Amino acid sequence: MSDEQFRAEIRGWLHEALSGPFAGAVGTGGEGREHEAHELRREWERHLGRAGWIGLGWPSEYGGRPATLAQQVIYHEEYARAAAPGRLGHMSEQLLGPTLLAFGTPEQKARFLPGITSGEDIWCQGYSEPDAGSDLAGVRTRAERRGDSYVITGQKVWTSLAHLADWCFVLCRTDPGSTRHAGLSYLLVPMHQPGITVRPITQLTGTSEFNEVFFDGAVAAVEHRVGAEGEGWKVAMGTLGFERGVSTLGQQIGFRRRLDAVIARAHENGAWQEPALRDRLVEAYIGLEVMRHSAVRLLASAGAGLSGLEASISKLQWATWNRSLGELAVDVEGAGALLTGPGYELDDAQTHFLFSRANTIYGGSNEIQRNIIAERLLGLPR
Amino acid sequence: MTHASADPQPVAGTLRPEAAEEVAQIRASIVEVLDEQADLRRTHELMVGAQGHDPRLHELLTAELGLLGLVVPEHLGGLGLDVSAATAVIEELGARLVPGALATSLAAVLAARALGPSAEPLLARVVDEQLTLASALAEDGAGWDLERTATRATGTGDEWALTGTKTLVAGVEAARVVLVTARDAGGGLGVYAVDPTDAGVDVRTHMTLDQTRRLSTVHLREAAATRVDAPGGEGPRVLLDHVRAMLALESAAAARACLDRTVEYLKVREQFGRPIGSFQALKHRCADLAVAVAGARATADHLVTTLRTGSATRSHDAALAKLVCTDTLMAVAAEAIQLHGGIGFTFEHDAHLFFKRGKSAQLLAGSPATVRAEVAALAGL
Ligand SMILES: Cc1cc2nc3c(=O)[nH]c(=O)nc-3n(C[C@H](O)[C@H](O)[C@H](O)COP(=O)(O)OP(=O)(O)OC[C@H]3O[C@@H](n4cnc5c(N)ncnc54)[C@H](O)[C@@H]3O)c2cc1C
Repeated sequence: MSDEQFRAEIRGWLHEALSGPFAGAVGTGGEGREHEAHELRREWERHLGRAGWIGLGWPSEYGGRPATLAQQVIYHEEYARAAAPGRLGHMSEQLLGPTLLAFGTPEQKARFLPGITSGEDIWCQGYSEPDAGSDLAGVRTRAERRGDSYVITGQKVWTSLAHLADWCFVLCRTDPGSTRHAGLSYLLVPMHQPGITVRPITQLTGTSEFNEVFFDGAVAAVEHRVGAEGEGWKVAMGTLGFERGVSTLGQQIGFRRRLDAVIARAHENGAWQEPALRDRLVEAYIGLEVMRHSAVRLLASAGAGLSGLEASISKLQWATWNRSLGELAVDVEGAGALLTGPGYELDDAQTHFLFSRANTIYGGSNEIQRNIIAERLLGLPR
Repeated sequence: MTHASADPQPVAGTLRPEAAEEVAQIRASIVEVLDEQADLRRTHELMVGAQGHDPRLHELLTAELGLLGLVVPEHLGGLGLDVSAATAVIEELGARLVPGALATSLAAVLAARALGPSAEPLLARVVDEQLTLASALAEDGAGWDLERTATRATGTGDEWALTGTKTLVAGVEAARVVLVTARDAGGGLGVYAVDPTDAGVDVRTHMTLDQTRRLSTVHLREAAATRVDAPGGEGPRVLLDHVRAMLALESAAAARACLDRTVEYLKVREQFGRPIGSFQALKHRCADLAVAVAGARATADHLVTTLRTGSATRSHDAALAKLVCTDTLMAVAAEAIQLHGGIGFTFEHDAHLFFKRGKSAQLLAGSPATVRAEVAALAGL
């Protein structure tokens, strides 16, 4: 199938689904909007899964569908273009799936991948802890082996969607005497069990999509450990690479929609006449063009996948760009942007402005990306 | 053409096909020559000399390696290679800040090639006579704003005479033909070929802030000329876009080279008992520059694809790449001076060559402010 046929197919399918039963889900969810339309979006995950739109490029035995890298990018582009609902399953598909494909046993793949491709299972990522953020190797959550299970004690924090998730991939310390990168294991933990408490944290947007997660005797099966015991660091780093991967190449389209909205608003309310604002808008346009051409270039050279370094460059680019656009969105609006709806209800510009501050923190902060680029791309000493 | 349209351009489906094997070979052979004959020590010598460039190297690259004919179609005697062959050469020259007329000449050849049949006689001469070309667009007061071109062309058919003054012309020192933009009696803009040794032409070459790039004023008084583009076409715009492309490609490559040199220095220079490259304040600045260089590279690559496919977005992409790449070179070179400390402030050191080249690339063929406004207009903003 040609790329153009593929584009037509996904575009047609999205159009049909989003003008029919899921019309009410258009534009819901996503960054800063995860609190919206849960039930409908959960159903949307299953609808996507049934139509075979989850797990592109994965083996078909696990419910995936063959697709080239270019087609995967096309899928993300069309998804963004259609303003399809924010994916509750994005960590399931973008993070855990590729991790299992790379590091999982055949049994683990057979057990977990179909739940992802069917849109049934929602996963969350249990990495960060109160004392382990950028320095992930500082993880303290312990998992003690008892027979066929690990018993987990500790706390995770900033766990996105934990309150909605069925499973969590958790980085824990399985070797009690160990420090830093050694002695860590990567466990797949069911969320619906005694011994797990999820406490939502209110974000500066006034809404809540991340949580504290407390493990107090929660259990994970030993057969659900990914990679060898004590070698969880390697697996966790693999996941981080996927976090900055293919979907980011397709996100230009979503960014372009946002920029267009800000520009349209500037024309509408006269902000466009303000030379300083207009210049920032043009600057944003140029920045987006640079990202688009960079993405094309990455895609052309990527072959099987993106290297961590390329991913770091694009993470730094897009996170910084989107944060600036968030500021521009409210500056274009002017003082009118200071008024919210009842109950601190935010409009698009306000949500963008506030939530985009997270872009340069999560998934490896800007500072961490700069360290990676300086040390691994440029070879500067540690 | 509007870019900020309701139907944004996708990323996928616009892949650059594999660059031809031949382009890689051309690049390799020019790298070999330049590494041997055109290091920055040599540039230091040449730029303070009378001629400002190395005629022997020019001769070697043109007469012996035949680089001017690379992209001239085969039926006109050239090698008929892809646009990327010429752009690869421009990049290698740019990375080493090689002074001289080859890059400007290649840009003019690419422009002529894009002009279609009307430029074929000129292209045939480029190969036959090893013609080095230069492009003269700017005028006092008007800069590179084509609309304000005041140079007059009188005549018809093959016989034209040009009168006016062109400023800030690069690469005349070795050029045998200058492509000049001028306005005919009907107000139409065109591109004309002028022999700089013609009696009606007076060339004054100036010392320049960027010593690696000499600039000249070209006075034309009833200078004999032939028309190169087809009347009613967009010849002058094509020429301007290719000059910009040259500046973009050179600058992207120079920015990369300048960053590499700076990073190497940070690895070996020690203060406080450790290499200064281990200080995070410096690392992070280098990382930001690396991101900027990657972005510049991407716009330059995209432009090459545009030139190759003859896409309608040529003017937009040339303006965007020129803006992004020259700003990037300026940023990298400015930081290079700072990160080298005292040695970076010396005439002896190379950092200022990149810095000065960066400024000339930024200001030639439209200043950042002008080009930015143009990008905005072309994007429909
Ligand atoms: C919206 C959101 C969602 C998230 N979702 C999840 C999730 O689902 N699962 C999960 O596990 N985590 C999640 N996180 C956590 C995120 O990964 C961490 O916040 C991030 O890794 C930073 O860690 P920290 O918060 O502990 O900050 P710190 O590491 O304490 O950093 C504080 C500041 O110091 C800087 N800094 C730290 N170390 C260095 C250094 N070596 N050099 C220079 N500067 C440094 C940082 O860049 C930052 O500016 C989420 C975060 C946010 C904001």
